[in-house]
Amino acid sequence: MGGPTDVAVVNAALWHRFSKDRFGISGLLIIVIFAILSLCVWFGILGQGWAQTSGSYWASASMEHWFGTNRLGQDILDRTLVGAATALEVGFSVTLFSILLGVVLGAISGWRSHSWLDEIILWAMGVLDSIPFYLFAAALAFAMRGQYFAMHLAMILTFWTTTARIIRAEVMRLKQREFVEAARAIGLPGMTIVFRHILPNTVHILLVQATIIFVVAIKTEVILSFLGLGVSNGVSWGLMLAESSQEVLTGHFGNFLAASLSLFALLMGFNLLTDALQDAFDNRGKIV
Amino acid sequence: MTRRLLYGIPLMLGVTLVSFMLMVYFGPDQTYELLGKNPTAQQITEVRHSLGYDRSFVVRYVGYLKEVVTLNFGLSASSGESVTDILKRTLPVSLALILPGFVLGNLLGLGFGMLTAWYRGGWLDKWVMTASVVGMSVSFLVIIIVLQVLLCTPYGLNMFPVRGWQVHDIGSWLYYVSVPTLALVLVTLGYNTRFYRAVMVEEIERDHIRTARIYGASPFSIMFRHVLKNSLVPILTRVMYSIPFVVVSGSLLLESYFGIPGVGLVTFNAITSGDQPVLKAVVSLTGILFVLVMLVTDIFYKWVDPRMLRS
Amino acid sequence: MHKLFLLIFIMACLLLGACGKGDDVAQAPLKTYRHSMDHAPGSLDPAQTSSIYANFIVVNLYDTLYRYKYLARPYQLEPNLATTLPVVSDDGLRLTIAIRKGVYFIDDPAFEGGKGREIKAADFVYSIKRHFDPETRAQGAWLWQGRIEGLDDWQTQGSDYDQQISGLRAIDDYNIEITLTRPFPQLVHTFTQGYSAIVPREAVEEYGQGLGNHPVGSGPFKFSSRNSSHAIMAKNEDFRKVPFDLEHEGYNAATQGNLGLESLQGRYPPFIDQLVIEFISEGAARWNSFSAGEVQFIKVPVVNFENVLSSVSPITLRPELADRYHFDATPEAGFIYTNINMADETIGYNEDEDRNQRNHALRCAIVKAFDWKKNNDVFFHGIGQVFPGIIPPFSSEFQADANQDYIERDVEGARELLQQNGWNSENLPKITYGITNTVTEKQVFEQLRSFLTEIGYPPEKISPLIFASFGDYYRAYSQGKVTLINTSWTMDYPDAENTMQLFYGPNASPGANSSSFNSPEYNRLYEATSGMAESPERTRIYRQMNQIVMDECPSITGITRTMLFLWDKNVHMLPDRSFLGGYFMRFVDMTAGDVTTQ
Repeated sequence: MGGPTDVAVVNAALWHRFSKDRFGISGLLIIVIFAILSLCVWFGILGQGWAQTSGSYWASASMEHWFGTNRLGQDILDRTLVGAATALEVGFSVTLFSILLGVVLGAISGWRSHSWLDEIILWAMGVLDSIPFYLFAAALAFAMRGQYFAMHLAMILTFWTTTARIIRAEVMRLKQREFVEAARAIGLPGMTIVFRHILPNTVHILLVQATIIFVVAIKTEVILSFLGLGVSNGVSWGLMLAESSQEVLTGHFGNFLAASLSLFALLMGFNLLTDALQDAFDNRGKIV
Repeated sequence: MTRRLLYGIPLMLGVTLVSFMLMVYFGPDQTYELLGKNPTAQQITEVRHSLGYDRSFVVRYVGYLKEVVTLNFGLSASSGESVTDILKRTLPVSLALILPGFVLGNLLGLGFGMLTAWYRGGWLDKWVMTASVVGMSVSFLVIIIVLQVLLCTPYGLNMFPVRGWQVHDIGSWLYYVSVPTLALVLVTLGYNTRFYRAVMVEEIERDHIRTARIYGASPFSIMFRHVLKNSLVPILTRVMYSIPFVVVSGSLLLESYFGIPGVGLVTFNAITSGDQPVLKAVVSLTGILFVLVMLVTDIFYKWVDPRMLRS
Repeated sequence: MHKLFLLIFIMACLLLGACGKGDDVAQAPLKTYRHSMDHAPGSLDPAQTSSIYANFIVVNLYDTLYRYKYLARPYQLEPNLATTLPVVSDDGLRLTIAIRKGVYFIDDPAFEGGKGREIKAADFVYSIKRHFDPETRAQGAWLWQGRIEGLDDWQTQGSDYDQQISGLRAIDDYNIEITLTRPFPQLVHTFTQGYSAIVPREAVEEYGQGLGNHPVGSGPFKFSSRNSSHAIMAKNEDFRKVPFDLEHEGYNAATQGNLGLESLQGRYPPFIDQLVIEFISEGAARWNSFSAGEVQFIKVPVVNFENVLSSVSPITLRPELADRYHFDATPEAGFIYTNINMADETIGYNEDEDRNQRNHALRCAIVKAFDWKKNNDVFFHGIGQVFPGIIPPFSSEFQADANQDYIERDVEGARELLQQNGWNSENLPKITYGITNTVTEKQVFEQLRSFLTEIGYPPEKISPLIFASFGDYYRAYSQGKVTLINTSWTMDYPDAENTMQLFYGPNASPGANSSSFNSPEYNRLYEATSGMAESPERTRIYRQMNQIVMDECPSITGITRTMLFLWDKNVHMLPDRSFLGGYFMRFVDMTAGDVTTQ
């Protein structure tokens, strides 16, 4: 039990279950819409006028500017769309790399648990966990002289630890199982066993983790940009919120509403997805 | 336990080395903050020398370690105040700021978690879960901005101060801490509720609990005497491990937005200006705190559940 | 069940909290004035008061030889610790200054027996010497560098405080003699600055760098405490009793009659018991704080101008605010401008004559592309004063009818310049614009970028260089790493010499001449006028120098901000943030003790 074919069967059943969850599907739908919008931005179809200033400052919603304009007369809708693209880009890259890093290090650590390699990796996790995140992000932003990817790096270097711990625990748990013993008996090298046999059983956990990290990454980017440690050249919802924090008190809500509502929508989408995935996976015990 | 303590040493070394490299070595050069308007090249070298930038990496790092051990970080390079004094006056403020929100957020989360775990699948469960998801999808920033407008300005209720911290008794403390506490609770409630619910559900689904339910044992006795006690381990782990961060970085946004003179704000200013003595102190403190938390949690584990010894 | 209890508990807390409103800092009914500043000061050591915020506070805690008259505009010098203006020799090289007798430092453990001793002339000499001692980490040396006989040598000889200096000495306990290397008419102005404040040697030796947080002075106020959000000062009961005279301070009943200042006549400043200064850099928080009555003074953040003003010309306050507050619209003593890095050969000076000319055309095109009107409207609410060159409007050398071409936007002209000089989107150089990571600066950059793209500059070639702190940014442009340097200059004294030095060759980076402009003719004229006091001749030459700068297009300059001050009508004062700065605090008076509204 637990070999490749069984995994496929379980996964198929999971998707069936998932597709019945209305909240989950709507969450997925929201994400897909944002993804399409972002692709349009990246391919130059939408949101291209975000940097263009004009003479109509603080204009309210009109035919020309669907969401109105900001202090510089820039179109808020365009900026919101580019902000979405930024959010997805940040979320995606941070999630991808922190999961990758977490999986690799967690697997090594779990497979060779209690060895000195494991101790070193655990030590690294401890060190990274005990440095307060915003200090770390600020420090990296400085050390990298304000490079755009300093923010991504700061997040990746701190987010991988949760995934690593989970994978480590899973690997340690699963390596006691019969199918692993069998694989060892055949003489398969350790890493092959880990990556081809053990890890596929963790895909469900990883998927859930990915959605969680995505949410945290986007939220963190918002706060980092607000503090001035994140996106600097370009637009992001964090920057729009930073602008708006001064503006709302003089009655200009355009920036604030656009950024916070779109942020809310995207995050809701992901959180609903996370929930649905967790529900589907929690109940997998009931299938087999 | 001595093993854990020994484990703390390489951890501290690691933390200090990484932070030292990033913040102190690669970090902002405070020289230019401290120069006047028309500096000469000679003046620049003088200031750099007095800030210690011209010494080698190893020398500076060893000096730093000495400071950690003696807990004496000297004077802030920005204002001249002794770092120990700065910490003495800011740490209590940060604690007084964060604790109510932290405690309330966890208590409420625990409460909701228990309720929804007990009535799992019911309408209460669904409502609380939806509210949690909504709560988790709103940025801390948005909450702070909205609360400030709604509660502290003439555009809203105008019942609380916009910023400041002039606390000398319970009344004034409540006056200044209410809005930040509310913000903190709103932001963490969603996460807390879900976490506690998950932990409770795990316990409740156990056979002996189900049996007890069927036999009509009261919810209180079951929840408190069995479920809660057995869930103590994960709950405590989570609470304990969030302490160091809650104290230092959790308060950063609140402090800068509400103008509260706590550790987070001081640290952030130190980061942006490159005030090394303050930075070194804060980083070392969180490292030490983390190690302490680890130790305390371990002791607690052993006290609560001797079975933990085996793993 | 327990959840309900918790809910009740929370509500009780909130209600209690609301009842707690109205409590205050001081228990006894002290007259407390609450001021707000838009930034926190760093060190309060007089030798390190490079920011106007630190300067503001320091002049209240320490004594300087001179200050400015409270109410006279334009600003006029007034003796503070000195008894009169200095006696100057005919050649302008020797000044003698007499100081008051019987002025004491505050009590402090650093002194013998803990009692503050009398200030002597030697203390002034010591305080200036400190700037030339590397141990101090002082920031004010540039004011007196190379000007006072023997001072620079004293530094190279090891900064021994027991060693006498020929050009700066105490003739006796109450008289100072200064010998200059060349005439320096602005010297007296430098003695109004916090840098020249008088510190006791005992305190410096006792506290070292800690003096920045432990002021020991002789000013009208004493330091009580300070943290990252405010500073508290208490009245110095032993401050010398000098009666306040309205006329002497330059009172103008016509313009200042509504401020309630007549009640001050004949009384002894300082008039308040406690001074609290709140540091609130976030505009929104500052405005909320002010509207709620938590502070009694505000320099209105630009974003709030529209809900404060009912009209821009003339500047009028909204009626509902005019009932509660006094207001003052005053130009800032300084200006904002954007320098182009002349040391960068892709856009500045180039050895190849042809490229040099093309660079010149490029710079002038950039200057023409800048839309000052839009910049003024968006960031200064349209009430900033734009002027061509480097002589700001409140200088006496200002020429109101000067040619405005330098600040007129001319897109066509800019495009022509580029085209005629062989510039196109392929060969235009990449330019960087330095900013610190704040929202407004990013917006300024984005606006500038849009100005340049409108004359055909490819937007990819215009990038921001973000710095997390001002110090970092300062370092970068001092090392010539930034092409377009947005910067501002706050004048140190009301004399245009202070702005002319901004383009003097030898002051190039890391000095104040951040564009590293270097014109031999300009330098010659600057040196020729350096010992001159204000005069028609000097004005003529300064205007000539201004033209030299504009001809070369090394800078997009400039605009002077107009600041809006609002203060509670219970407070009787004329606040200032320029040269008088913190000196006005000692003259602040209030009617109803402490103001708690609602």
